[in-house]
This record gives sequence, structure tokens and C-alpha cells, in this order.
Amino acid sequence: MIELHNIRKVFNAGKSNELTAVDGINLAIADGQITVLKGPSGSGKTTLLSVVGCMTRPTAGRVILRDREITSLPERFLTAIRRRTFGFIFQQFNLLRGISVLENVMLPAYPNGENHGALRDRAAGLLAMFNLADKSEAPVEWLSGGEAQRVAIARALVNNPAVIIADEPTAHLDSRLSREFMDIMQSFKTAGKTVIIASHDPIVYESAGVDHIVEMRDGRLIAAGSA
Amino acid sequence: MKRWIEKQRCLLDFTLSSLFRRKGKNIALVLVYTLVVFTLASVMMFTQALKKEAALVLRETPEIVVQKLVAGRHDLIPLSYASRISQIRGVASVKERLWGYYFDPVAGANYTVMVSEDPSLDEGEIMVGQGISRLRQVYKRNILSFRACDGNYLTFKIKGTFEAESELIASDLILISEGDFRRLFGVPGGYATDLTVKVRNRKEIPTIAAKILQTVPDTRPILRDEILRTYDAVFDWRGGIIMAVLAGAILAFIIFAWDRAAGLSAEERREIGILKAIGWETGDVLQMKFWEGLVISLSSFLLGVLLAYWHIHFTSAALFEPVLKGWSVLYPKFKLIPQVDGYQMATLFFLTVMPYTVATIVPSWRAATIDPDSVMRS
Amino acid sequence: MRKSDIFWRFILVNLALLGLVFIHAAANTQDHLSRLKHLGEMVEQLKLTDLCLTTEAPHTRNPSQADWHTPFQTHPLALEHFPSGAVVGPPELLRKSYEKMD
Repeated sequence: MIELHNIRKVFNAGKSNELTAVDGINLAIADGQITVLKGPSGSGKTTLLSVVGCMTRPTAGRVILRDREITSLPERFLTAIRRRTFGFIFQQFNLLRGISVLENVMLPAYPNGENHGALRDRAAGLLAMFNLADKSEAPVEWLSGGEAQRVAIARALVNNPAVIIADEPTAHLDSRLSREFMDIMQSFKTAGKTVIIASHDPIVYESAGVDHIVEMRDGRLIAAGSA
Repeated sequence: MKRWIEKQRCLLDFTLSSLFRRKGKNIALVLVYTLVVFTLASVMMFTQALKKEAALVLRETPEIVVQKLVAGRHDLIPLSYASRISQIRGVASVKERLWGYYFDPVAGANYTVMVSEDPSLDEGEIMVGQGISRLRQVYKRNILSFRACDGNYLTFKIKGTFEAESELIASDLILISEGDFRRLFGVPGGYATDLTVKVRNRKEIPTIAAKILQTVPDTRPILRDEILRTYDAVFDWRGGIIMAVLAGAILAFIIFAWDRAAGLSAEERREIGILKAIGWETGDVLQMKFWEGLVISLSSFLLGVLLAYWHIHFTSAALFEPVLKGWSVLYPKFKLIPQVDGYQMATLFFLTVMPYTVATIVPSWRAATIDPDSVMRS
Repeated sequence: MRKSDIFWRFILVNLALLGLVFIHAAANTQDHLSRLKHLGEMVEQLKLTDLCLTTEAPHTRNPSQADWHTPFQTHPLALEHFPSGAVVGPPELLRKSYEKMD
């Protein structure tokens, strides 16, 4: 479903702090499965996630999404595709402070210009799914770590994307919440979604539902193997 | 199209939520902004209204007023000048005008005292303006005394007051008979304060004025046209107070714009990064910023203009009273002809709403174009 | 209700009021015109030359009749007659003289 051909990403090209984050990446992400990018920090996992999720253009190489090359699409089309196809869960959650939980969940859909009432209902439904219905008007600062995590997940789902991308999702969670998180990812897989997680947490990559583990070190792939 | 409208409404929702986060600061901003617009609009409306009134009311002011000058000062004019002037070809009539100022120590106010041609005003009777009536609490049939130039007191009975409508021209006016005037001020018979000249052909006014100068060189003719133009320059922008108001307004706007243009805080930049990461395009972020600027500036503009109109036409420009009044004790109550000039409002709109909106968008430009993945990397 | 709806209603109400302002101004003009006509007659009858804006000083009360030098004596900013002297400046006719008569 998602293919990466000879991807290389260089930051600050030509400057003194030039950094090649990933190089020579050839990868195929299968549909409807959970793939984990495993490796220590600095291995390029986050950069690879960004490239896969169309958040950044590779310096070299091609990205093919559903048989369509998207590497050189202009920003507008790329953003629209990204919005429809991918849902992101960030390591720091990155919820907007001072705004209510419900509005945070609705934000990714604002540029779509869809009917507000329908959007509101959908977002409320997602919050209910994660048992957060009673917190929907609360400002996000009042949430616990686990609750914030679930709001971040709900937000990632609001545009009903086919692919969920999570960057070090369990970094701020205890073991119980980490396992709960993996259960949620498993339920996505059951619902037919594709899940890509970058993590060096054993609870994640040793989890039962994981289909592929991609090991990375120093910006390169070491081994792509099944769990 | 419907999608575009829905999208703008969503962006506006977010903008309002965002502004609400710093409720105190943004409310204060709107208040100050409104105050600035209010002041500017008030001055504009007041000036317009006054100029219009002056233009309409003073249309029938004397065609030529002739003053005698002695050592640069306005002095009494001998009536013999009148006969010399009336012999100039084109002059229809020459009449004397007797008027002056009386300082009333009881109230600490200046009155304008004038002799009227009305024969029904007997000696010992006066007509007073509403301002005087209010100030001294005197009405029809009451008595007022004035100290004459010889130190004696003259008493007058008030025959009537000028109606309220006339405050703009007669608030401080006292109409008196000629005999009383001369007794009060010691202006000898054979002299008047100035002369008014009526000409046969209006187009000849400047020519006749030139001839008057030739006939009586120590005089100064004042033409009706000049009198009317005086009021065009009332509240001249070069005047001290107007300058101060304008400077204050400009300074306020510079402060607003500086606050916006000083660049975004790290917090704001982070938020724009998050918005981009969750799927907002650069264009969406900028449109949101546009709404942010517009919400504040449009609200303030509308409130300011509405309040200004209410101020000028329903409270008779109450806030300008201390400015116009100065140290004078008497202040007319006037109801001005309501004047809203669409052109001026549009100018005010462009001067206030646009710079602020632009100052909100421009600094965000850079931040709005950052790569969405920057938020992941930080 | 959505926040944006509240905002739009607020703006629309204000715009409607602004429209009312224009209507009020136009409607009231007639009343004022008759008042001003009456004042015009008074001006003609009494031979008045100025509006009674501020009675603080002769050159602010009768700016069109003012001595040539008095306003300049007390200008700039006319501090003893501040603020009214700063607002009602010396009439233009004193700044240019006799242009039409030369």
C-alpha cells in the first residue's frame, strides 16, 4: 500500500549542521497490518514516519501511496491526501492548550469545510468510544496522561483515515496504559486500518498483534522481518 | 462554495476559541481600539456637522463688515465713514453695528452684547440667550444688573429669551437698545463698533471692498466669503488639540501593530506547527490569522463608530465640552445636524481595520510555511 | 450556538445599527433644515457673523472678526486659552491677506 524507494532525507543541506537522517530506505508497508519501526533514538524512526505520512518530502527517492506517486505533488494536494489518509499520534500528544477537548478532536477536519453538526457528532462519538464523553468541554490541561493520550488518538481518527501513525506513543505512559494502547491499535487492525508505530519500547514491539518489525540504526534499515 | 463558507466558519470558530484563551488581554485590546476609533470618528463627525451648520446658517451674514484699525487693533469706527462708503458706486446700504463683550464677574463669563434694530425693544429691556439664562438662572421678567463704564450699575428687565434652537448662534447674546448700549459701554454717539455694507451686485463684492480700502484706508473690510471660510478651518487639523488626538491615535495603532508584528511567540509558532501537522495547509493557517485580525478590528471599528454617532448627536458631544469650553463658563447646548459621510467612514475603515489585519497576518507568514514535520522533530 | 454564529450575529446587529445611523441622519436632516433656515433669518436680522462655540476669548468667540494680532499673540497652542484656543485656530483669512482685492 505504501512503498518507499531509495528514500534519503537530509536536514540543513549545505550548512554546517547538515544531517542525513535516513538513507537508502526501501520499504513496503502492508495494508491492514501493524508495522513497528524499532531502533534507538537517533536511528531515524521519526524521520521515516514523517516521510511515510507525507509530512515531509524526501531529499531523494520516491514515495508511492496506493499505486500513485506522491513525492512531487504540490503542498495543497499533498496536505489534502495526508489529511484524508493518515491520522497522527505524536509523542508529546500536541494538543492545543486552552481549547476544549471536543474542539481539539475536531480540528483536523476544519479545513474540509464539512457540515459542522455532523463533524461535532462524529467527534463526540469518538470521545464516547474512549470513555471521555464527560470531559468533552473540559480544557485539555485538566486531563491526565492517559486521558490526553486517548484524546490524541480520537483526534487522529476524526477524518476516518486508513493509516494510523504513532511516534513513541508509550513514552509517557505506564505499563498498564501502554498495554491498553496496544489493545486499541489491535482493534484498529481488526477494523481494517493500517498501523505504523515507531518505538523502542518492548511492550510495543513484543505485543501480540504486531505483524512486521523494521529495525533501524543510524538512518538505515537493518532487517525487515515478521514478529 | 458552500464548502468554502463552512470552512471559513470553522476557521472562525477556532479563531474565537483561540482569542478567548487570553480573554483579559483581548478584551482590553478591543476596548482601547474602540476608544481610538471612537475618538477619531467623533472628531470627524463633529467637525463635519459644525461645518455644515456654519455653511447653512451663516449664508446671510453681512456681505461686507468694515472695521477700523488703529495701531493694528480693532477700534471704534466714526459714522462719518458710513456716508463716505455709501457714496461708492454699487453700494446699496451702509448700516452701523454696535456690539461688544461684557465680562460678568458674578458668573465669571463673557457675554456678547448687541444692539438690535428691532424698535420694540424699549430702554431698560433686554433679550438674553439660553446660555445666560441657564448660567444666571434668570428668565422672562427677571432683572439683571450690569456695571457700566462709569462704575454705576444699570438694571435691565428681561423681555424674553432666545429659543433653545438658537443656542448655536445666540447662547451668550444679550440684545439691548442703542441708548442703553452707549450708556453701558461709554461708546459715544457718532461712533459704532463696525459698519455692515450691502452691495447691489453680489459679484461686485471684492471690487467694492477694494474701493472701500481706497476711500478709508485705515479700515479692514471682511468679506462674507472669508467669514464662511473661517468655519471650514474650524478644528483645523493643524490645531493643537486635533494634532494631539491624531498623534495619540497613530501612536496607539503603532503599538497594536508592533505587538502583532513583533513576531510570534514560541507558543504561537508551536501551535501553528501543530495545526500544520494535523492537516492544515499554509493557506488555512493564514486565513485563520486573517480572521483573528478582522475579529478584533472590525468589532472595534463598528463599536467605535456607533458610539461616536451616539456621542455627537445624542449627547451633544458631551466629551468635547471641556475642550471647546476651555476656561469659559458658558457653553451652548447644541443639537447638530447629523452628518455621516460614507466616504469618511470608508477612509476610517481602511485606516483602522486594514493595517491591524495585515499586521496580524504578515508575521505569521513565516511560521505558517514551516514544514509540518518540525513539530515531530522538536 | 457556535462561536462563529455568535460573532456573525454581533456583526450583523452592528451593521444594522450602522444602517440605522445613516437612515437617522438622512431622516433628521429635514427637521434640521427648517431649524437652520430660522437661524439663517436670525443671522440676517441681527447681522451676526459667528457661531457661539466658545466664549472664552474674543478671538474664539468671533474668530471671523478677530484682530489680526491677538490670535498670534496667544498662539502657538494659545496656552492661556487652552484648550479652546488650540482648537479654534486663527482664521485662514488672517493667514492670507487681501488676495482677492489686489
